[in-house]
Amino acid sequence: MITYLYEKDLRRMKFNILTSTWHDLAVRQIARRLSIDLQRLRLIMIQRFDMSLLENLPARWEAGLRHADTNDPTARELGCELFSRFIPFVEPDEMQTICSETRAEIDNGTPEVQAIDAGKARIREVILS
Amino acid sequence: MSILQEIKNRVRSKSIHVTFVDVGSCNGCDIEVLACLAPRYDIEQYGIYVHNNPREADVLLVMGAITPQWTDKLRDLWDKIPEPKAAIAVGNCPISGCVFARRHMYIEPPVEKYIPIAAQVPGCPPRPTEILNAILSLAPTLFKDYEEKQR
Amino acid sequence: MKKTVDVSIPIGPVHPCWKEPIRIKCETAGERVRRAEVELGYMKKGIERIMRGRPWQEVMFLAERVCGICSVIHNMVFIEAMEAISGITVPPRAAYLRVIVNELDRIASHLIANFSYCYTIEHETLAMYLLNVREVVLDNLERITGSRINTAYMIPGGVRFDLSEEDAAALLADLATVEAEMRRYVKMFETGPLIGLRSRGIGILTQEAAIEAHAVGPTARASGIPECDQRLRHPTYRELGFAPVSRTEGDNFARVMVRFDEVFQSIGLIRACIDRLPDGPVRGGGDCGPGEIVYRGEAPRGELAYCIRSDEYGRILDISIRTPSIMNIEACSHYMVRDVTSLADVTSTFISADPCIACTER
Repeated sequence: MITYLYEKDLRRMKFNILTSTWHDLAVRQIARRLSIDLQRLRLIMIQRFDMSLLENLPARWEAGLRHADTNDPTARELGCELFSRFIPFVEPDEMQTICSETRAEIDNGTPEVQAIDAGKARIREVILS
Repeated sequence: MSILQEIKNRVRSKSIHVTFVDVGSCNGCDIEVLACLAPRYDIEQYGIYVHNNPREADVLLVMGAITPQWTDKLRDLWDKIPEPKAAIAVGNCPISGCVFARRHMYIEPPVEKYIPIAAQVPGCPPRPTEILNAILSLAPTLFKDYEEKQR
Repeated sequence: MKKTVDVSIPIGPVHPCWKEPIRIKCETAGERVRRAEVELGYMKKGIERIMRGRPWQEVMFLAERVCGICSVIHNMVFIEAMEAISGITVPPRAAYLRVIVNELDRIASHLIANFSYCYTIEHETLAMYLLNVREVVLDNLERITGSRINTAYMIPGGVRFDLSEEDAAALLADLATVEAEMRRYVKMFETGPLIGLRSRGIGILTQEAAIEAHAVGPTARASGIPECDQRLRHPTYRELGFAPVSRTEGDNFARVMVRFDEVFQSIGLIRACIDRLPDGPVRGGGDCGPGEIVYRGEAPRGELAYCIRSDEYGRILDISIRTPSIMNIEACSHYMVRDVTSLADVTSTFISADPCIACTER
């Protein structure tokens, strides 16, 4: 258990930010996209992100949907830039490895749907770990 | 009254160091305090100097209703100010919570629960002249004969 | 885990340069800032939660108190959103008066932002000059609306007071003084060698990063995204032939200069408004009805969005506010501050993004 000297426990305040209307909508969409349990995703966000990023979450999510991975359908399906740059769950290098390996699998003859599902599962694993 | 006390009284009425702390206002009162610095109102011609260091201050201006992060920190800040000291509540928020004192709010007004308040300047926001007037009329009377009263 | 950071330095919550409490934890290697983390919660009042279930007459005043510096635009966006929901039309004279008051507020807000920046880089003379000019602008705001801050000037179907001939003449005369003074100060800022050393090339926000963090307002326009200006989509501004200011450097200097340029632009817009001001009533009236809308407007700091759902009595069932400072503070703390060469530049870089913590946390 961490004890704080000067800082207060921020988890309650972070939860307050996440449950405001616009933020709640964005978190629900992200949870659906990643197929992670909503409460679990909130917990991960509260642990990893700082407060200004949490406040900015819906804007980043919308910008990500509009601008991320515009020229690569496989990366778009996986959310390659979306979950590494726009919403930084995964380190960019790690995401790049997952993305290129998935692409290689598709080239080797694995059905596209299956390969992408495997890639998504790996991303989910990284996020949940 | 000793001669030393008289000198102290005179000095204290002519040189007031002010610090301000925002504990969750809407910024309106902040910029009205800032406007006091402008050459139009020129707070320094009355011997008031605005610091942001509580350890050098005589008067603390409190703006805003108390937010959860401030409930313990405001007391710490108040304890750092050397005696004699006074706190002035600027605006409606530290007095009552103003429009924010409703159901489902996060704030915990009034400020009086946490530190002793010597004067209140109501208004949403008060004019710079009113803030100036409050500091000028409060400080000399409150700090007068401080050492004598202590005895 | 590999250790790349020497020490984590907290700045705030009470800091001489910042008027509002916020805490930035900078992780540094030597003097170089590696990354920064922001701790908020010092201003969280829960305005959105208070607003729910209240009639629009109350929410109007609450919306204004989201931010004291740019209160007019909060009023304007909320009222225009309610008008769009209930199909109320505004008389043309009132529409122009709204633009006048909004631009006056924008000038005051930009001046205080640049005042803070000059104060932070310790150029106190220029800072005080700017603060003094701001008083003239606030005088005009008071003459038109009756209040310096928190004006509550706009209501559904119009504005509260008409602008008389004498007031318009006084406004034009004051604008001439403001413009003449500002030309001098902008020259001081542009040519000051020490100001250049503290501002040019520091805290760069690239266009790519600006898109990533969804930066808005002068911050984004200084990084070469002029189309983010929501005034391009506002009918009255379109009539006035509005074209946004933009720069491409993306450093502290560019952000401050964009704000200076916008002051001149706002002066031009007010003059155009007074020129074209049509005759007629200023209050149309109308009933607020049920509906749902996402309405966007351009605050001094950038795009301001209100998401409102109301019922047939004009009560607000659900509301969510996205203020520009949320995006700009995030862009600042995660992109601009990164790899700043000295800790002294963290405060000035932060102030150059014109943060408004009261907006951010609501």
